[in-house]
Amino acid sequence: MHAIEAHGLRRTFGDVVAVDGIDLVVEPGEVVAMLGPNGAGKTTTIEMLLGMRTPTAGTVTVLGGEPTDRAVRARVGAMLQDTDAPGSLTAAEVVDLVGAYHPVRIPTALALERADLTEHAHKRVSQLSGGQRQRLSFAIAMVGDPDVLYLDEPTAALDVAARVELWEHVRAFAALGRTVVYSTHNLAEVKGTASRVVVIDRGRILADGAPEDVRRLVEGATIALTTDASATALGALPGLRSVEDPGGAVRAVVLHVTDPVPALRTLLASDAHVSALEVTEASLEDAFFALTGSAHADARTTQTAEEALR
Amino acid sequence: MTTLEHVRSPEAYAGPRPLGVLAAQVRAEVLRYRRLPEYVVGVVVLPVILFAMFGLPNAEQTLPGGTSVVALLFVSFACYGIVSQALFTFGADLAEERQQGWLRRLRATPMPMSVYFGGKLALSLVWSLVTITGIALLAQLAGNAGFSPARLATTVGVLLLGTVCFSPMGSAIAYWARPRAATTIVNLVFLPLSFLSGFFFPLSQLPDVLQGIAPWLPTYHFGQLAWGAMAPADDISLFGVTTSGSTWLHVVVIVGWGVACTVLTALGYRRDLDRERA
Repeated sequence: MHAIEAHGLRRTFGDVVAVDGIDLVVEPGEVVAMLGPNGAGKTTTIEMLLGMRTPTAGTVTVLGGEPTDRAVRARVGAMLQDTDAPGSLTAAEVVDLVGAYHPVRIPTALALERADLTEHAHKRVSQLSGGQRQRLSFAIAMVGDPDVLYLDEPTAALDVAARVELWEHVRAFAALGRTVVYSTHNLAEVKGTASRVVVIDRGRILADGAPEDVRRLVEGATIALTTDASATALGALPGLRSVEDPGGAVRAVVLHVTDPVPALRTLLASDAHVSALEVTEASLEDAFFALTGSAHADARTTQTAEEALR
Repeated sequence: MTTLEHVRSPEAYAGPRPLGVLAAQVRAEVLRYRRLPEYVVGVVVLPVILFAMFGLPNAEQTLPGGTSVVALLFVSFACYGIVSQALFTFGADLAEERQQGWLRRLRATPMPMSVYFGGKLALSLVWSLVTITGIALLAQLAGNAGFSPARLATTVGVLLLGTVCFSPMGSAIAYWARPRAATTIVNLVFLPLSFLSGFFFPLSQLPDVLQGIAPWLPTYHFGQLAWGAMAPADDISLFGVTTSGSTWLHVVVIVGWGVACTVLTALGYRRDLDRERA
């Protein structure tokens, strides 16, 4: 029996295809990271898995039942974006209320503790900061002692320390044998937490595997430099994914590589002129560009070229 | 359906069901509104203040049937309070909540929506009782109303029936009006209803045309039923209310109106749900 089973999941909004055929089978105890840039269809996918949105096509089964089934919802927790609890209730009151909705629940104090909100328990929701509200959302997701937990961009409004704390709590929760599915557009948030990574872009799964494998696939660096090396020489650099080369004698180029070290070693060993060298870790968007190399990256290319020229 | 075994946390426990859910919802709603001064003052206390200003000065007059004028004015102001509360709690506030993500967020929980609406109704009943008690105490202590306990009890029963039957009118507006328009519409509905039903001054003082419209309004029947519960017919007509129709007609109109508005609300709710999932 699978924790989550989705087949051929598709969702359109008018002419826009948000989710374009996703197959996802999650086993109990798996911690799955849905990695993708903004607008990749992560939120829509989670909403369909939650039964909050009807798929245009495809099927979803959660814990062996329909996601809209009350018995299933009783065992599912969700931390969603942009959901404001009533401002005049305190954090503890809101958690207590949502806890009461669930047939089996953990004590309010424990849910607050797991979300690091104990000291703000008696503050009204309207007085909480953005990060505290986000943690409240996490406490709400946890209070029903769920078997399946969805977290949609859980760290979006959190500062670095709060992020670290949150992932610790997610790991502790997963260690109880629970299933967790979370979305992120940050490659760093995959490491150490997820047991599996599903890379999503434009509504499709691009890669699905262990974090190390996916990381290797999408990780990379961008090298910006001014050089007079020939296009052929640049094209022959080791680990090269793509080159942005305006052409000419001495010009600014941008290299997208899997690993910057071998490429730079080769380049510097040649007698080509190299100046204004800048190496940056590739953003996820760059990685997707490298993976798909397709149309929607055009804007991105121009942008990177401009950045390089600056 | 085969299901996966639930892995319980050691600290997990089963909450009391199903009443625990409703109790928690009502508690949260009451707490929440208690902390909103604009609600407590504007909706709960205002009828009491208006009664103190315009009802109490008529103290010490007693009608031939033994009913004090203050007792009948208590009914008028309580009726107004009930209708205003039903419309504002369910109309304006629900419309606002529909706007926010919270209501949508709750759909991802196992809470049945009936609990949500039940909680709101109970909230409205609690605050209605506060308003009624406030006016009744003033009438008795400061206005020497000389309530007959049996008549007072029946009247309070009628007033609470009003809360139950008029709340769906508010929620129907909340679900069919654009959220920003809801408050305006509630006011547009509420004021004529109150005036044309004789809550602020006797109907006999209104132009004939408007008097002719009155019997078509559900709140008119509500007023008739409430005054009828407080005093004998002779006293009521001396008070300035022209009685018409039987008690049962009034009850049927009020309950029928409540049912019709409930159906409208349910349709609006479904429409909302379909839109959200769509």
